[in-house]
Amino acid sequence: MNCPVTKFIDSKMQKFDPIWRAENGLGGQRSRYYDKTGVAKYREWRGVHDTLVDYGAWLKNLSAMVKMVASAPIPCLKGFWEYRWMGSYLGTFMFIDRLFEGYRGLELKIAHMHMYAIVQSLTKRIAYILSHDRRLGASEEKSSKLVPIDEVLPELFMTGFPDLYPVPLQTLPEFIICDIDQHIEPYYIDVAESFGLPADVCSRCAAETGVALDDAFPIVGKAVVTTNMPCNASEATSMFQRRRIGLPDYQATLAMIHNEPAALPFSRKVMEETIAFIEEHYDTKFNWKTFFKGAKRMNEQNQIELEKWDYFKTPYSPLVGIAETLYKLYEWQSVNGADPYYNKVDRKVIKIMRKAYKDKYEPFGGKTRHRAFLWGPSAVYYTDFPTWTQNCWGINIVLNMDSTMGHNMVNTEDPDIAMDDLTRLTEKACMRHMAVGGWDNVNSVWEWATNFNCDMVLMNDNIACKGMLGVHAMMEEQARDLGFHFIFIEHDLEDSRTVSRQDMRNCINQYMSVVLNEKPLDPTIVEFDDSAAY
Amino acid sequence: MNMKLAAKVLAKVGVIGFVGFAATFTIYFFNLENKLIYYVVRPLLNKHYDSQVRDKRIV
Repeated sequence: MNCPVTKFIDSKMQKFDPIWRAENGLGGQRSRYYDKTGVAKYREWRGVHDTLVDYGAWLKNLSAMVKMVASAPIPCLKGFWEYRWMGSYLGTFMFIDRLFEGYRGLELKIAHMHMYAIVQSLTKRIAYILSHDRRLGASEEKSSKLVPIDEVLPELFMTGFPDLYPVPLQTLPEFIICDIDQHIEPYYIDVAESFGLPADVCSRCAAETGVALDDAFPIVGKAVVTTNMPCNASEATSMFQRRRIGLPDYQATLAMIHNEPAALPFSRKVMEETIAFIEEHYDTKFNWKTFFKGAKRMNEQNQIELEKWDYFKTPYSPLVGIAETLYKLYEWQSVNGADPYYNKVDRKVIKIMRKAYKDKYEPFGGKTRHRAFLWGPSAVYYTDFPTWTQNCWGINIVLNMDSTMGHNMVNTEDPDIAMDDLTRLTEKACMRHMAVGGWDNVNSVWEWATNFNCDMVLMNDNIACKGMLGVHAMMEEQARDLGFHFIFIEHDLEDSRTVSRQDMRNCINQYMSVVLNEKPLDPTIVEFDDSAAY
Repeated sequence: MNMKLAAKVLAKVGVIGFVGFAATFTIYFFNLENKLIYYVVRPLLNKHYDSQVRDKRIV
């Protein structure tokens, strides 16, 4: 920026800029935090323009939260009083700050566009669900149009029921809140384990069970759609939830090994039965017209996504790391063609990406040293891990396994073909396709990494995932044969007590310093204690 | 007369806007809302959550 006023302000404020401090040996990102807590003494100075972008985004997010409370003040207050997980949502601002530490320029702009899309959708959803929650006093009749469905079952099929409101049951009290607060799920895991549930199951399933036993799921609707996705522990969780919640349910158990063409008729039947179950319990009819509208939106999302992938393959993509992953995960899993706002955001972002590619714009000031593909289910309690890998070692996560979910187009004219397409899309849901969908899908990591011009593969290793434990040695052998830098990052998905965030960082630190003999970009964030942070 | 009124209104809006910006930017830059939440609000809420009696059963 050439304006003398902004230059003057920047020169006075640069002591608050952690990147400038790290470059000048005067500290770095961690210097501005109180020890352990994750509470920053002051927010990052990013230069006049980018600080104002960040401040503007903060105001917008704040206004979304104010709107949420204003739209349903009593249910929101009751929710804060009743549910432990609601208290954790107060950590949202700290969460957003962590996610985009060190972001500047176009990557910051896109990151906030994506984040606001999530915040505005989530806040509306929280207010709506709490005001229809029977635990908080809503009548049966009032909540009768809400359909609780398992959060890992994509919602596109629900656009065929325009008079009903799908509620991804676990998203609010378990999945998203674990991203925001690393201390919330251990409480629910302890509830489940103190009841006698074995401690060696996937912590996500244990946490969900704990939420059910603690009566912390909002109770809405007349019947629930559960699923076998993504694993057998998840199936057990569905059974615990069924018993505790006490509503009629249908378990949508689509084929796990879905690459096999013979599995499609089976999965299609399950999809049809799921729809029939909702028709029966909610006394309504599936509307193909509204479904096709939803499918068109979903197709547009996927078309834009495929174009984004072309830019990800180059060094000139300002959509990077967690800004890409988190948005894609939410857009695909929780929106899934149901909200036109996301199509608008996608159209704006792809325009920025096209221009950035034309201008040869390099994110992070061109400081990226390695391009990595992140494979395996990520630790939910360390969502800002990709931000840390870039800020500390210059490792840019160009794409994440979860972003490779179903991207087939859905026919928007013929119900028969559309049902097959919908089934294919649903089968390739979050984690299910790559983590438990058969060896070919797991092993495709090398192809993905090669296609996206990555020199590094970071393999998330959920230590309690029985499905993935068996592939360690095979993956390491292949990495060696194919010449990738390959790092296993152990984590315990939703239980930060077993493998801390620092333990995860150490997996990278050791490889980068011992094997590659590289120096960190910011030495203050190589090793630090954030155990008391949200 | 109208011009004077318009100038007055504009001046007022400007002052309110500036004070609003100064106040919210101070909260933003010094991370005051997060400090309040972390050190005051959440400990109080957690105390309340810890005192809740929950009926933990499978059925």
